[in-house]
Amino acid sequence: MRIDQQGNDRKRLLFVLCVLASLTASAQDETETSYSRSGADTCLACHDDDVTLALFRTRHAVPSDGRGPFGSGQLQCEACHGPGGAHSPRMRRGQERPPVITFEADDPTPVATRNGMCLECHEADVGFGWHAGPHDNDEVACADCHVTHAARDAVLHTSTQTEVCFDCHQLQRSETLKAFSHPFLEGKMDCSGCHSPHGDTTALQLVRQTLNDTCYDCHAEKRGPYLWEHVPVSEDCGLCHAPHGSNHPGMLTSRAPLLCQSCHAPAGHPSIPQGPGGLADGMPSQFLLGQSCMNCHEQVHGSNHPSGSKLMR
Amino acid sequence: MHGLSSSTLAKLLTLALGVFAVQAAHSQQVDTSEWSCEFCPFATGTHADLSIGAGSVSDDSAYFGDASGYSEEGAFVAIDGDGSITGDTHQLSWHVEDLGLDSRYAELRGGRQGTFGYEVAYRQLPHHRYFTSDTIFRQTSNDSLSLPAAWVKAPLTSGFTELDANLMRRNIESERQTWLLGGEYLASGRIAVSASLRREERDGVDLISGSYFTQSSHLPGPFDYVTDIGELGVRYSGDNGFIALDYYLSQFDNNSDSLTWESPFTTVPGAEFGRLARAPDNDFMQLSLSGNYRFASYSTVVAYSLAAGRMQQDANFLPYTINGNLSAAPLPRSNLDADVDTRNVALSLTSRIIDKGRVKVSYRFDERDSNTAQDMWTRIIADSFVSVESETNIPYSFERAAFSLSGEYRLFDSLRVSGGYDRKEVDRDFQEVAEQTEDSGWGRLRWQPNPVIQLSVRGGASERDIDRYNEDFAVMLGQNPLLRKYHLAYRYRRFGELTIAVALPEVPVSLTFKGSYADDEYSQSRLGLLDGDDLQLAADLSWSIDDNKSLYLTGSYQNLESLQAGSEQFDLPDWRATNRDDFYTYGAGFRAQNIADRFDFEFDYLRSDGTSEILLTTATAGISAFPDLESTLDYLRARLTWQRSERSKFDFSLRYQRLESEDWALQNVEPATIPEVLTLGADPYDDDLLIVGVGFRYSIGGTSD
Repeated sequence: MRIDQQGNDRKRLLFVLCVLASLTASAQDETETSYSRSGADTCLACHDDDVTLALFRTRHAVPSDGRGPFGSGQLQCEACHGPGGAHSPRMRRGQERPPVITFEADDPTPVATRNGMCLECHEADVGFGWHAGPHDNDEVACADCHVTHAARDAVLHTSTQTEVCFDCHQLQRSETLKAFSHPFLEGKMDCSGCHSPHGDTTALQLVRQTLNDTCYDCHAEKRGPYLWEHVPVSEDCGLCHAPHGSNHPGMLTSRAPLLCQSCHAPAGHPSIPQGPGGLADGMPSQFLLGQSCMNCHEQVHGSNHPSGSKLMR
Repeated sequence: MHGLSSSTLAKLLTLALGVFAVQAAHSQQVDTSEWSCEFCPFATGTHADLSIGAGSVSDDSAYFGDASGYSEEGAFVAIDGDGSITGDTHQLSWHVEDLGLDSRYAELRGGRQGTFGYEVAYRQLPHHRYFTSDTIFRQTSNDSLSLPAAWVKAPLTSGFTELDANLMRRNIESERQTWLLGGEYLASGRIAVSASLRREERDGVDLISGSYFTQSSHLPGPFDYVTDIGELGVRYSGDNGFIALDYYLSQFDNNSDSLTWESPFTTVPGAEFGRLARAPDNDFMQLSLSGNYRFASYSTVVAYSLAAGRMQQDANFLPYTINGNLSAAPLPRSNLDADVDTRNVALSLTSRIIDKGRVKVSYRFDERDSNTAQDMWTRIIADSFVSVESETNIPYSFERAAFSLSGEYRLFDSLRVSGGYDRKEVDRDFQEVAEQTEDSGWGRLRWQPNPVIQLSVRGGASERDIDRYNEDFAVMLGQNPLLRKYHLAYRYRRFGELTIAVALPEVPVSLTFKGSYADDEYSQSRLGLLDGDDLQLAADLSWSIDDNKSLYLTGSYQNLESLQAGSEQFDLPDWRATNRDDFYTYGAGFRAQNIADRFDFEFDYLRSDGTSEILLTTATAGISAFPDLESTLDYLRARLTWQRSERSKFDFSLRYQRLESEDWALQNVEPATIPEVLTLGADPYDDDLLIVGVGFRYSIGGTSD
């Protein structure tokens, strides 16, 4: 194990020194010697496999886009993989080919270097929160989620995005498999509908400024403001709902009437414990069965009826 | 260590990164005039992959038809595909999914990349809740329901002699249709302008409870919502950061302001009809400014977001009651003229002040400031009686501020330690607690001794305190003064997370284990929530058997437990309830590609098993247990693909889904089971579905032409 570790560190050191040497030479001499002789043509002479060539069906390989890697005067493959001048020539027997920057998860290129290459062009695309976000903090590489050498990047499409996210977020994946959830399993809703994977300053990495703003984006009928507000609703939808999934209808965090009774204890029927004697095979209780409290207090998200203070109208 | 200090290594890395920046800045100085890209197979012309599939659904299913489109028994045809047309300067691409099903999606994107782009998309999403719901109510318009002509009223459901003769099936279901039109224009290399319009239309039938004084009916309530969302943005990208200005407008229109229904119960004279208000038309607009700036020193980045918004609602009020026999004072206003301002501030700074360390400081402020006027309102109870008490509407407002400081230090190449402190402050108006603070501390270790294993352990605690719980205010609201609402109460929380990842490259097998734990104690509460625990565990194993075959196994467990207390006598606690949810998932899958150079095979199986157990302990009846609430979901999918030629392939798919559930809220609850509530009599889900299909996919055009 220790030998492996030493070997690994040596590889890293060798890589750093190689990159450093090639880059330093380039920066100091301001010559193009560290770049390949013919750009992409040099690379494709060896790397002509399907995965490499799939790049040419993506937005990264549009020659008419002057900003892109294959725009006029741009660095083509080396725009992302770094200078390949030392990597591309014929090597002597036994000579180790100096690496370029690569993006596979177990490649030796440090994550910060890989992400730095992406952010060189996409800093504004990822938004303001990347550098303070948990993905950057945990050294998640852009390429851990995005596939650049594919015509279709799975994480950018609703029907396939959750598979990518759940690869790391197993706990959230389990929650979405509960009986009552948003339609993640059917591929009709994605994580980025609510969460901003590139970071945000909300605790939950949300796409809108607050949790409620995020929910209202699709559930605007809950927004009000109502004449009679149910106060937790206007503050935090998550006080009653578990948006990833629940064993209770409506994705409620627990079952009514107990959920309601955790905040409502006035004199009278709301404070009475509703036991199993009130089930259908006993003395069926209007406080327990069907919609429970909502059998009468229908307007739990708020009422705009002048007589709706008890959320019954 | 290993002949080279980690600090030296870090310096080399820093230098390398610095050189990268120079490299990028000078990229235009590289002479690429000879880089002809002669061998680059750029996409040109037309390319399309189109799949036509047909199959059969074994049964009607509300649960499995929800969102999927496979809600009805019988044959189906579905078309999927994508394609593109690429010219010298313009690109056009399209993508379609599930055309032929109720869950269809289509999008079209185009433009001149680097100059402008546009997008048009459409999505239809069905929502099915119950296919087993029966009602006596007839829909007479989009906002009213009437009784059958021969209906005989009674004070309790047991007296509904005409019930069985008049029940008819009414599915509780709806549909959401979304249209999107968006575009972006790059005014220069640094300035981008974007705009989008989104319209969401939702209509269908929802389950609505229409109450009387002591009785209620479950109504199949029609609804028709339209939400329009417009966004405008302009962004400037500089060498060291960017700044963006965005405008967001969401307008909600409800095509029905009320729902009126006729009471099937015997009522006081004049209360034969009830009417409730539907969600009012409203809008929300927000202007936000965000961006970041990267300082060269210490890799420091400052990010910010400032937003100001306003929610408005001025839908006309309904009268106090539909009951013409009751009189009340005139409404104080004809509409609420509600006006709520929102303000949000977010600032963060991250910096590598030393080679081995990184710090992050962040601040967040959210405000909801209601400017809605207060008035005194009469209340007509359930369109039946005039309440003797007038009531005042309350314009709830709150401010939330959060500050956090965290840092990470690399002790060794293989070991990192980090820690942080968070403080939250919440100020609320018109609630039992005016000021609430929460202090949290946490620590984390990340250890990667070798490429094979990674370990992360995080743990901490937080204490949420309050200035005081205003019992006088609680009493004014009619609450037991001993109650502590759980989001306002004192809380002590312990939490922890563990992640272990093992990758055996020689086999190659990877194993990931994750766990998290949170324990909440509301130790100063006597009524309400007293305790809450959440334990989650998950493990994944994947094995790449060879280049073409792989296998995975997954499993997870979650336990949610809570304890709450109540007081039947409006005094000291005299009953307790425990809620325990246990949830298991198991999954396995196998993939094989290029079998005999022509076949791919995929197989997935998933089971999730949820059980909710509720125990009630009262002073008079002792401990009583509810029947478990259970849901068992099986999901099996298999697909065999035959690559007939380079351009065509067939696939044969099979999907089996089953949900068995036990839910005492619905179990054996027929429409007249509850004496005071006429329900829809919907059954707990017990659905199984088999979907078999054959598809043919063909590729047109592309670089292989």
